Amino acid sequence: MSCEHHGHDNLFLPREARILHTHRPTASEKHFTLQLADGAPLEFAPGQILEVGVMGYGEIPIGLASSPTRTGTFDIVVRTVGRVSTAINEKEVGDSLWIRGPLGHGFDLDSLKGHDVLIVAGGIGLCPTRSLIQYIEDRRDEFGRFLLFYGARDPLQLLFTEDRLHWRASGDVEYFETVDRADASWTGNVGVITTLFKKVQLLPETRVVICGPPIMFEFVIKELDRLGIVRENIFVDLERRMKCGVGKCGHCQINDKYCCIDGPVFTFSEIQELEEAI
Amino acid sequence: MSAFFIEGRDFELFVDAVIGARRVVGPVAKRTKFVYAELESAEELRLDFDVTILPPKKVFFPPSQDLVRFSDGVVGGCIDPVETVLLGVHFYDVKGIDMTDFLFRERNEDWNYLAQREATTIVASSIQSISPRAFWSSVGAEVEPQGHDAFLTKVNGGYLFETRTPKGEALLGYGSFREATDAEVGAAALANAAAMKQCPERLDYPSEAIAEKVRDSFGDVAMWDELAKDCFSCGSCNTVCPTCYCFDVRDAWNLDQASGTRTRYWDACLTREFATVTMAGGGTENFREHHSARFRHRFMRKAAYLNEKLGGPACTGCGRCSQACTADIADPVRVITHIMEVSS
Repeated sequence: MSCEHHGHDNLFLPREARILHTHRPTASEKHFTLQLADGAPLEFAPGQILEVGVMGYGEIPIGLASSPTRTGTFDIVVRTVGRVSTAINEKEVGDSLWIRGPLGHGFDLDSLKGHDVLIVAGGIGLCPTRSLIQYIEDRRDEFGRFLLFYGARDPLQLLFTEDRLHWRASGDVEYFETVDRADASWTGNVGVITTLFKKVQLLPETRVVICGPPIMFEFVIKELDRLGIVRENIFVDLERRMKCGVGKCGHCQINDKYCCIDGPVFTFSEIQELEEAI
Repeated sequence: MSAFFIEGRDFELFVDAVIGARRVVGPVAKRTKFVYAELESAEELRLDFDVTILPPKKVFFPPSQDLVRFSDGVVGGCIDPVETVLLGVHFYDVKGIDMTDFLFRERNEDWNYLAQREATTIVASSIQSISPRAFWSSVGAEVEPQGHDAFLTKVNGGYLFETRTPKGEALLGYGSFREATDAEVGAAALANAAAMKQCPERLDYPSEAIAEKVRDSFGDVAMWDELAKDCFSCGSCNTVCPTCYCFDVRDAWNLDQASGTRTRYWDACLTREFATVTMAGGGTENFREHHSARFRHRFMRKAAYLNEKLGGPACTGCGRCSQACTADIADPVRVITHIMEVSS
């Protein structure tokens, strides 16, 4: 079967990961808890990605959605969008996914530690930032104030119900959420995510992490400018079509950067000069 | 390292002897043009080629290449290099290979390319005929060709064979070589210098000045729209380029529907879908939506973005894109000269 006569590593050879648990938070998303089939731990940093695939269908880049502080297993959340994500989301407990990674450059934890941290997550952007949220919760005394803003299109799109209940009750995080459009059941905040800024006071030294749809960045950055937060302290987690994940295939290029190896997490100061970034 | 000479009548015997021992790829005629192909006999070899349709990178980075094979839950790689002699590579294509060598090695070593590259002996050859759109004498002139193991120059009724590496020296055993005379070495140098003077197109600006001005022109949307207005987004300029290395990865099932392959295929950043991401609800987001943004991206890649890494532009002056472009708008000499003269 294998024709590998060569001693070198093959960047494209995936590892088998077993599905231990699945959960459907919304109609289109599926949350997987995985473990490498050989039992080895997966070592990664919050913000890094995996190429996740089903053999015969292909691979897609997915941000890790759990913290490396919670060892043994790791989580991903996949939204059914195209051919590969559909194939992944048909898999159930006991089946396998094939992964490569961790890949890319995650959040700069050294720059966050010792400071107030605000995470602004829009829609499915909550998934890759969940890795950092859990990390901060697990090492709470290494960080200053911890705030989390989460916005979704409507109440049906809200992810991580259990997590949200926990964050609301937790003394470790100041949690705020909003929906663009409410339904009859919704009693919380309504409006775009920037409406949450008026609910809190933030110091200009606050470190801010943004992950969400491209349109959200622009408005959040305006708020941060107003608060005097410098762009070196703003971290953005970008999404592109990272096909190879190892800086070769060219699909995720943003000007002269490769999202997959130079990112997917960048400081806003790094990308503000890149015309193709946002 | 050293210079040797082989008579013209002995050269064919040499090539046939190498073909008997190894896989040999070299330029052969295809109708009115030339292509790199596996040689069956020395007669097919056309060292008088001007330029080949596709560059020789296809020996290490083929248009389609299996990366992974799978069958019933078993997944394995397919790195399987074949000892090869690539015979007859003009210096500008050696420079292109140097660039892809660097790019497939940097940061993450891609042995799907590097294994075949290491198993290949490259014999460069002098330019005997010149392509009408070539500008290799001027573009990136500060960058010397590196990755060849020997250099062959047609001179004095035979060939001067200059060995550059032990891999090149290892070929000496296949032919009746003798040590070259100083006169033969001198005549070869003259022949190669004369070819440089006959290059038909010129890019008369230093690489650094080009890189700076091209980078600064990014925001001149009107200029890029005008330069790109006839672009069909066909990607021919990418396909024929010796330094383009982007690829797509796709899975395919075998007929048994139980096994299959994950394969990479050459891709082209000029094509419409290249930077497109599928969004929820069936929509798409294209990060280079307009053809002029894609056309501009190619010029940024060739003239500015990679210069620091490569020591010069990611262009060898082969002129293939100029010839391949259906609308004849891809010629780097015309585009870059326009930017240097017009752009403020």
